[in-house]
Amino acid sequence: MIKRILAWLSVLLFAVFSIYPMLYVLGVSLRGDNAFQSQSLEILSASSTGKNFIDLFTQTDFLVWMRNSLWVSTVTTFLGVAFASTSAYALSRFQFRGRNTMLFSLLATQMFPPTMLILPFYIILSKLHLIDSFLGLFLIYSSTALPFCIWQMKAYYDTIPKELEEAAVLDGCSRWLTFYKIILPVSAPALVITALFSFMASWSEYVIAAVVLQDPQMYTLPLGLRSFQASLATQWGLYAAGALIVSVPVLILFISISRYLVSGLTMGSVKG
Amino acid sequence: MKAGIALLAGLFLLLTGSGARADKMRIQVWHQMIYGHRQVLAEAIGEFEKENPDITIQATYRETEELRSSYQAAAMGGSGPELVYGPSDQVGPFATMGIIRPLEEVLPDTPWEHYDPLAIPLYEGRHYMLGALVGNHLMLIYNKKLLSTPPTTTDELIELGKKHTVDLDGDGKIDRYGLVFNYTEPFFIAPFIPAFGEPFMNENLQPNLNTAGLRDTFQFILDLRDKYRILPKECDYETANALFKQGKAAMLINGDWSWGDYKENKMDFGIARIPRVSSTGRWPRPLVGTAGYSLNANLKDPARLAATLRVLKYLTSEKVQALFTERVGTLPSLLSLREQEAVKNNPLLRVSSEIMDVGTPLPVVPEIRGLWDSLRTQYQKILAGSTTPSEAAKNAQSMAVAQIKDMNEILTPDASLGVVKLVILAGALALLWLLRKNALGFLKGFYGPQRFVYLMMLPAFIGIFAVIIYPFFYNIAISLSNFSLRTFQDWSLVGFHHYIATLSDPKFYSLFLKTVVWTLANVFFHVTLGVFLAVVINQVLPAKGFWRTLFIIPWAVPQYITALTWRGLFNQEYGPINLFLQQYLHLSPVQWLSQPVTAFLACIVTNVWLGFPFMMIVALGGLQSIPQSLYEAAYLDKANAWQRFRHITWPLLMPVMVPAALLGCIWTFNNLNIVWLVSNGGEPGDQTHILVSYVYKAAFNLYRYGYAAALSMLIFLILIGWSLGSLRAQFKKEQKS
Repeated sequence: MIKRILAWLSVLLFAVFSIYPMLYVLGVSLRGDNAFQSQSLEILSASSTGKNFIDLFTQTDFLVWMRNSLWVSTVTTFLGVAFASTSAYALSRFQFRGRNTMLFSLLATQMFPPTMLILPFYIILSKLHLIDSFLGLFLIYSSTALPFCIWQMKAYYDTIPKELEEAAVLDGCSRWLTFYKIILPVSAPALVITALFSFMASWSEYVIAAVVLQDPQMYTLPLGLRSFQASLATQWGLYAAGALIVSVPVLILFISISRYLVSGLTMGSVKG
Repeated sequence: MKAGIALLAGLFLLLTGSGARADKMRIQVWHQMIYGHRQVLAEAIGEFEKENPDITIQATYRETEELRSSYQAAAMGGSGPELVYGPSDQVGPFATMGIIRPLEEVLPDTPWEHYDPLAIPLYEGRHYMLGALVGNHLMLIYNKKLLSTPPTTTDELIELGKKHTVDLDGDGKIDRYGLVFNYTEPFFIAPFIPAFGEPFMNENLQPNLNTAGLRDTFQFILDLRDKYRILPKECDYETANALFKQGKAAMLINGDWSWGDYKENKMDFGIARIPRVSSTGRWPRPLVGTAGYSLNANLKDPARLAATLRVLKYLTSEKVQALFTERVGTLPSLLSLREQEAVKNNPLLRVSSEIMDVGTPLPVVPEIRGLWDSLRTQYQKILAGSTTPSEAAKNAQSMAVAQIKDMNEILTPDASLGVVKLVILAGALALLWLLRKNALGFLKGFYGPQRFVYLMMLPAFIGIFAVIIYPFFYNIAISLSNFSLRTFQDWSLVGFHHYIATLSDPKFYSLFLKTVVWTLANVFFHVTLGVFLAVVINQVLPAKGFWRTLFIIPWAVPQYITALTWRGLFNQEYGPINLFLQQYLHLSPVQWLSQPVTAFLACIVTNVWLGFPFMMIVALGGLQSIPQSLYEAAYLDKANAWQRFRHITWPLLMPVMVPAALLGCIWTFNNLNIVWLVSNGGEPGDQTHILVSYVYKAAFNLYRYGYAAALSMLIFLILIGWSLGSLRAQFKKEQKS
């Protein structure tokens, strides 16, 4: 019994820890006076108003940013899933020269401080005339999300018994069909996770988007939100309202896939 | 399959199609105007486009610091916007890098005498910027409801300040302050330095910090805070602004850009000079600057140049300046406009130009960056109580001199360049030799039975390496070069200088140690919290799905929002954490963000919040694969909860948690966002940096790209070495078992 109470208490404590900051943002977004700070712990007060949310949609280009972000994230997700599922399958099922090196080099790409990539990224993209085009973003986003996605897809494939494919091959399936018809369907949880990671990588990314996109009509949500934030003169109300709305699609996504979330993220077997 | 190809082809068409534009000439302007000013700019641009249908102007907003770094990157890539608008102190660095052009070359007949000299700063004898307004100077802003006349001397300031620093409801907590301002930022105390003694920069534009003036200024601020207690203990820009707007501060030191905000809030406020220093009888001298347009040096095409000049002339014309004055109350740079009604009858502008009379021009030389930076570092150490004013003044001087030397240093090739070339050659040959078999095998494989494997694998790897390889080698090259402020356009390889300098600098080791602490602390809490919550959710609670979703929230929120939110939560005056400590636990408030240890702690807490959900999900996945029968057996053996955890759950979770923790370590080690945003770039006094945030600072704040690249190569090597080591250890363990 005591154990139960303790468990409940600790869970409630962490629940507060995990949602309070977002409630705080909600409080700021509902304040009418563009103030980030107030001396009360209440989220709602008498002066609460939905004005910031209305302004966000009517006075700013929020919907344009939303559309751009959705477009960029959708394509990135599509590319991420397509490439990660195929190459992880190759890495999981076949022995070939340089396989371990390749696996490790994937991990190595995560080790370089991303800060120093900004300048060279800009230089290549401008040489390729990809500045101010979503193509440049797709390329960089899907490639930066891929290493993790491949690792985790491979880990999932490793848990699928080989007998499944052997049976299919005996039945005369080609290798592509075996992969496409047999393996992919049973890997749904991992595919969903891959999709989620690719989506998140592009949905909230700021630094690279700031390098690539200069036309305000092409801004993605993080760029748009940051434009409320000037040094020494931030539109806190709009910023907070936007921040909440940006987080909503991701949450919906998380909730709708929570069935797969737990079984898909297999981090097992690091050995090559 | 066919449908997939068709979809891809369609997608590609869509993508490339969106790049096509009408053949109107598009002139880009990058600026850092605040929200209200941006709307006026948009209006002015609209009118220009109506009159000039052949030109479209695209205005892009970037925050000041980001404008600097992205303009540098763009200019490096040989492109960038035609015009860049910003404060006058960007002239020095940009001109030194050769990425903006002297206006004399393209507008030889500009009537310079028509402009306020403050609006057309000279750098090395030439004009690089055409100012659109004059101002950005600090002044005393006071709440007229509380104060009828502003103080004119610092003694009066202290008197009035004491009178207005009051505890209204008697709970032992101050409810209203006499004076608030962003006093942790050196720009805000700069006006006092010449008033107490000598200016902080001498005639040769060299730092002059080890002076009685600076020591007295430091002491003065400390006295205001600790002796007279009229300043809050911790006060950044946002806090000062919020206190003043809510009537919880009688006086504020702030710049002319802030008026709009107070007007919008319908405040009754007055402005005045910052009070005369009583002991010397001199007025503090606020730095007066301009914000204006500079021309991109990459702009060569004559037709485009002509159009750009038309835009430049229009944006600084009488008409547009008058529009800005009317709407947002800026002081125009054209002297002819100063005589007009809109300027003369504007009470704020009238007082403002009186304030400007005691001002001093904002220095535009690039050295000012090094000066501000060392001043900030030392000054914040005083405020945190870890050094004394005279120590700080001395150290600020030597640090500024050293930083300026580093910034201006042009390295020349040394003996190690030969070694570098040899190593590169040998490395390339070795790589070829090693890859010879692999490459042949690879080609053979393409026609052999492995063809399928390659086709499956290659698209992803081509993508990854296309994106990573070039930046990687580029970084190796600049880490061996003298790439910095003075050699921005023509850098060359010089040898191992940066590596030697980094490895022989004790700072590197202390930063490394701090990064290790940061990484271990974060990953430890991520994993323990994640596993703990997973076990509790899995075994004890009903409605698993609900709790799981609740704990995922921190993961779903973009990092930059998280960071700024937590910075708000840790605020000394307004942060809910301190309010909670005071109201419910009756503790005294903690100055989280102005003490090095607590500020670092704040960064860790933020990152723990951000990272535990991932580990929780991984752990939940791991728990599902543990067969229930094991627990049943343990139950029969009368094992208690801890024993069940210790002997079943933990060992079976390990294979899942170890790789996650490994990846977590790499991500945390390189996590720039949180440290940078929560500590506001390493505050207090550069004492919260980890390696990556230090790299960021060296590259983008101090323009030392070569040094930053060498440092990031070292980070890369450390991580490679560490992960190879731990993978091997893991591998051995698994083979044993």
